[in-house]
Amino acid sequence: MTLFHFFNCAILTFGPHAVYYSATPLSEYDTLGTSVKAAVVYLATALVKLVCLATFLQVSETEVFDPYQEALKAMIGFIDVAGLYYALAQLTHRNISQNHKFQAVGLGWAFADSVLHRLAPLWVGARGLEFTWDYVLQGLEANANLVFTISLAALGSLMWLRKNKPKSLIPIIYTCAIIIATMPSITSYLKRVMGWHFPKIVGFEIATSLVMAFISCQLFIFCQRPSL
Amino acid sequence: MAEEKKSKQRHRVMVFESMYPILALMLILVACVELCDAATVVDVYRLIQYDISGVPFGSRFSSLNHHAASLSFQRGADLSRSVLILPLRELDIAFVQDYISQKQSLGGLLILLPQTFRPGNVGGGSLSSENDGFRSLLGQLEKLLVHGNVPFPVYFAFENEETDAMLADVKKNDALGQQATATTGGYKLVISVSEPRKIASPTITNIQGWLPGLRAEGDSSQLPTIAVVASYDTFGAAPALSVGSDSNGSGVVALLEVARLFSVLYSNPKTRGKYNLLFALTSGGPYNYEGTQKWLKSLDQRMRESIDYAICLNSVGSWDSELLIHVSKPPDNAYIKQIFEGFSNVAEDLGFQVALKHKKINISNSRVAWEHEQFSRLRVTAATISELSTPPELLENAGSLSDTRQLVNEDAIIKGVKLVAESLAKHIYGHQGKEIKIFADDSSLAVNPFYVRSWLDLLSQTPRVAPFLSKNEPLIMALKKELEDYTAEVSVQHESLDGSFTFYDSTKASLNIYQVASVTFDLLLLLVLGSYLIVLFSFLVITTRGLDDLISLFRRPPSRKVKMG
Repeated sequence: MTLFHFFNCAILTFGPHAVYYSATPLSEYDTLGTSVKAAVVYLATALVKLVCLATFLQVSETEVFDPYQEALKAMIGFIDVAGLYYALAQLTHRNISQNHKFQAVGLGWAFADSVLHRLAPLWVGARGLEFTWDYVLQGLEANANLVFTISLAALGSLMWLRKNKPKSLIPIIYTCAIIIATMPSITSYLKRVMGWHFPKIVGFEIATSLVMAFISCQLFIFCQRPSL
Repeated sequence: MAEEKKSKQRHRVMVFESMYPILALMLILVACVELCDAATVVDVYRLIQYDISGVPFGSRFSSLNHHAASLSFQRGADLSRSVLILPLRELDIAFVQDYISQKQSLGGLLILLPQTFRPGNVGGGSLSSENDGFRSLLGQLEKLLVHGNVPFPVYFAFENEETDAMLADVKKNDALGQQATATTGGYKLVISVSEPRKIASPTITNIQGWLPGLRAEGDSSQLPTIAVVASYDTFGAAPALSVGSDSNGSGVVALLEVARLFSVLYSNPKTRGKYNLLFALTSGGPYNYEGTQKWLKSLDQRMRESIDYAICLNSVGSWDSELLIHVSKPPDNAYIKQIFEGFSNVAEDLGFQVALKHKKINISNSRVAWEHEQFSRLRVTAATISELSTPPELLENAGSLSDTRQLVNEDAIIKGVKLVAESLAKHIYGHQGKEIKIFADDSSLAVNPFYVRSWLDLLSQTPRVAPFLSKNEPLIMALKKELEDYTAEVSVQHESLDGSFTFYDSTKASLNIYQVASVTFDLLLLLVLGSYLIVLFSFLVITTRGLDDLISLFRRPPSRKVKMG
């Protein structure tokens, strides 16, 4: 209710991005440009996804889980991965180490995602008189999304930018990347078929994001070993 | 290698530590998840607001923006910024009277009525004893509210699941002593409606139908006329709910059925009687039968003088074994005797009783209790057939909240129709004293119960307070069309309501119920979020730059002082 609540939800949704930028060495190396470029790539990707969804998907009246529609949505979701690949691999960045490149790209990507998907509902809804937990949950979801995106960027940089990887870890890397990339489909499956409510889904997302972050962190550290 | 292991261990510890604020937040979430209600919207109906000769009555306010409170509030608490929610079951008349008469400040009053009183709700006559208790309580409440000047907005609403849930919540909070205010959260009731305005020139509409009798060839004298009159408008505490099934929906239905029967008889010249029939649906009934008076005055004098007698129908829907005929001429008057004899003979045949009641007209008193008194003041013989034994007070018994469809018994109306029709027919065709039943059941002139039922159902769903009916209101058009079907000539007369009654609009509104969180909750959330961000910041600094960097952020480098010195 009112602007106070809006302010609270806004700092929950967008605060971690700013904190991440300032707390990690990203701010020291001034990687803002990379993040901005990643955000622009995200915008372009979102536009392409929108056009594809509008062209190929049928809007269903009821909340029925249609496997074909969901498979189609998942395939269109891979456009996301392609966009991330472009941002990581193809764009020219200033000379920053890989360690920081994926973090900056992931940060910019996640920030653009939050702003695009969550700012408008927040502005319109959280200022009303009626109090709901929805916007707090949405902010938590934004946090989970940040962790997911950074993990995905880490795995992406492992997949595309690092040439010498231990053979045994490659399938694990790809599996984790696929799991993260198909998170939207998984959550929609949970929502429609299992009938989970929003708080449960957000809790699940947060837990999964932490697990994924941990795994990708471990993988990254493992892969860094041979170069030492 | 050892350093890496240490950093990994620290990393793991940090991961677990960072989960704590998230766990805490989730615990709060799980504990408070039941507050996840969306805003609800309920239809509410406002108490009537009117003036009589400038003296204000009813509720003068309409908009509402306060927190909800229930009867379990702590004694002595200040309710001037709260809306009191009162279900009918827990109504305490004395309590409400306190608040009205002593002008104690109250933000508003919301009265919740059981669903059985909803217009259009036909079923549910099972708990009739409970309903009777409710009806009498509702009657007392209405009397109090309608005749008093209420300094706060009063609204009526029907109970449903959402209001029940909200009321239970509010009661629980009140019992704990946490009355809803800006700092403690709770429910907020908002009705945003503009200031009620005076209704500029309220009109009352009379509809009359003329069924001419058989005039013999070469006979130029005026045939005598018999009039059947009923007033169709209502008045109640909540004008949007004032459907008046018994007062006077039953009278209107009876009049329409009698008109239908006689139109069948009169359609064939062989069975047309030597009396004209005049059917009138008048308005302005609750306001001293103003419509009837104006209609009579507008009649041609010759026509008025040709009226043999007039029968007024008022509330004939819920009687059992006795119907009353009210007159203002003394009972030993020859005309009255004749009329009464005719009616009581027919009643005997039909198996019930009629009784005669005489009430003298007091010319100095402007109160007109029965419709026939307006006729008597213009020297036309008239009587009112009603189930009521005492004359209703001003603005009483004219369509109160408890006067719903369930109160009316179709059979009572049918018996009344038979009584009126047979008695009129005996008088018209000169069959007094003979054992002839013209409108017998199973004949083509039988009273049609489906007709009675359908019109009764329609009237029980249409609020009919006269100032709120426009000139071309669908109901008025429907009544006019109905009379056109049965009579030869229909005329509609529009008059304006007497200046001493003033009405104000805004009778229906939407109530928005918001669940609001208190300011302390917002502050708490801010605190939690602030600490979460700080923890996140520290965690990230420690993992990516090392613990020393974090400590160095807070400690000024001591070397500067040395340099400057």
